[in-house]
Amino acid sequence: MLNRIIGPLIFLVFAWFVVSNADARTIIAGVAIFLVGMHYMENGFKLFSGGALETVLERFTGTTPRAIATGFVSTAVVQSSSLVSVIIISFLSAELVSLTQAVGVVFGSNIGTTATAWLVSTFGLKIKIAHYALPMLIFGVVMQFSRHLAYRAPGSVLIGLGFIFLGIAYMKDGFETMKDGLDLAEYAMSGYAGILVYISLGAVATVIIQSSSATMAIIITALATGQIDYINALALAIGANIGTTVTAALGSLASNRNGKRLAVAHFIFNLVTALFAVVFIYQLRALVDWLSPILAIADGDDAMRLALFHTIFNVIGVLLVAPFTRTLVAYLETLFCEEAKGRGRAKYLTSEVMEIPAAALAALRKETIHLYDKSLEAIVHAMNLHRSQIFSDAVIEEVVEHARAPIRINIDEVYQNELKQLYGEILEYASMTQSYMDQQGNHEIYELKQAARRIIEMVKDVRELQKNLNYYAKGNNSFIIGQYNKLRAQLVGILRMIEELREYEGDEEEVLTRIEVERANAREFEIAMNREVDALIREHKIDSRSASSLINDIGFAHSIGKKLLSCAVTLWVRDEEIKVLGDEYGYG
Amino acid sequence: MDTAKLVGKLEDFFDLSKKKQRKKHDKLSKIIGKLEEKKTSLEIELAGRDANGERYHDLKQELQVISDLIGKARQQDLASRQGDSDETAS
Repeated sequence: MLNRIIGPLIFLVFAWFVVSNADARTIIAGVAIFLVGMHYMENGFKLFSGGALETVLERFTGTTPRAIATGFVSTAVVQSSSLVSVIIISFLSAELVSLTQAVGVVFGSNIGTTATAWLVSTFGLKIKIAHYALPMLIFGVVMQFSRHLAYRAPGSVLIGLGFIFLGIAYMKDGFETMKDGLDLAEYAMSGYAGILVYISLGAVATVIIQSSSATMAIIITALATGQIDYINALALAIGANIGTTVTAALGSLASNRNGKRLAVAHFIFNLVTALFAVVFIYQLRALVDWLSPILAIADGDDAMRLALFHTIFNVIGVLLVAPFTRTLVAYLETLFCEEAKGRGRAKYLTSEVMEIPAAALAALRKETIHLYDKSLEAIVHAMNLHRSQIFSDAVIEEVVEHARAPIRINIDEVYQNELKQLYGEILEYASMTQSYMDQQGNHEIYELKQAARRIIEMVKDVRELQKNLNYYAKGNNSFIIGQYNKLRAQLVGILRMIEELREYEGDEEEVLTRIEVERANAREFEIAMNREVDALIREHKIDSRSASSLINDIGFAHSIGKKLLSCAVTLWVRDEEIKVLGDEYGYG
Repeated sequence: MDTAKLVGKLEDFFDLSKKKQRKKHDKLSKIIGKLEEKKTSLEIELAGRDANGERYHDLKQELQVISDLIGKARQQDLASRQGDSDETAS
């Protein structure tokens, strides 16, 4: 009840404030335009990178220093730590990067966000930025009308930059005109009390605006127009850094455990950095004063000095925390463990991953492999075998010969309890994520869905095979037992070959060749088996009932083998040019 | 320079499909090269084997598969180049 009243009340007070105060209105409009710009820029880079950003974040994060450097560069370029965070969380969820790598990227990303302060304090304030903002918007909008992504994406980035510059211009104008009526500098506070008050203000402003970049833009424009004192601006910048952790923490509430762990890492990092900056604020200011002439920053250019301060204290933060990355990661791994999903539930499919095509595809692939592994267990047990027997070096025929005792497994129960839910989640996720994919991505999703379907069909096929296998295993017709052993041996051979391929690190041409050879062997095997059954019937070694069961089961076994090989192509041959050469594409 | 020409040049600049086709052709050539290499080594191995041995049958099977893969790769390459020339003609 109270919530229903408070929300609209705050909105009404805010509306009254905006309508009644022209200067504040200009500043708030500037912030709003700036945020729209950030949004456009983020979306533009999502489209523009065509997976490049994802590739960079996946490949160049091998060591902590590299992860930090990558986090820094990518955030500075795309001007969005939230975009980088979303991608890195999605990669972490899809296990494309480790928690250590992800933490490194988050550290680097913090330094990267300081690029906004430089952008505002240099371009934003030094030149009549609004003059450039309007042509940017015009060309950006024109490019948005194009059918080609190659135009639309840079168009979106251009619109974003245009709005960001326009927003800065509005903020600057607002603060300048405000100064005639109300001088905020009169409220400047000195000493540690002032620092703490302004840190709180910076944090609160960032939590409200939900963007530390926007807060920094406000602080810098206010400082440049003389509305706030330099030392208070430094405190506000520290506050903005603290505020952004609250924003990240709030965002991670709906996230998976990886998102939460990274939010904790982010919080710890910013807390340590802020504590250091508060304690040594005067020494840091002295460092900035000393460095400014070296970096050709003019004596009175407080805006650029603030940008330098922002960068320095974030770099120091990284230097302080990065040496303890391993300890931090060990601690993070103890958190949110209870969230691990139960049997029969998806392990890799999380909503954060959905919007990032590369990560979504990786997650979907991993989940399909998860489904394959779970189904494999059921298939192997249904054939009265154990995984350890299949994936050993023992001679296949001997393994099969010695494993005749039925293993009690109800395939229907396994399907209902462990596979159906997982399969459903894969299908749902695939459908949801398709809207974020390009043509190639959609094609890959289609293939993964097909692979998942085949996995489920294999389980249903093996259920049929299991009935007769157990029935005839109890009998004493050595011919029919021998035929069933041959069927099992054939499938074990395929499973063993696939398992070897999973570990194989050579050319994919070789992988496909081996699969295709196995496919050709399977075709020959089916023909040979049918001929053998014909001979057994002619020689009255098996009766007609057994023969019909056997013929059906040869069909089921062949179907399982074909599906296993098709799944292997989809799941372990990644190169599209190689994949299309296989018979996979002739599969109905 | 007239507008149509300028637009055409811009289209070319942003059009990645030709680049993609070239990349596809290079990749397929590489794949064909690797498969040809394997085919040659298999043929040499096959020549020194007893035609009635079990290994001979396996190698022959593999050789057949590789030959099929090479054939398909060549078809793919041809189709992509034809697509390219059709686009240029139109």
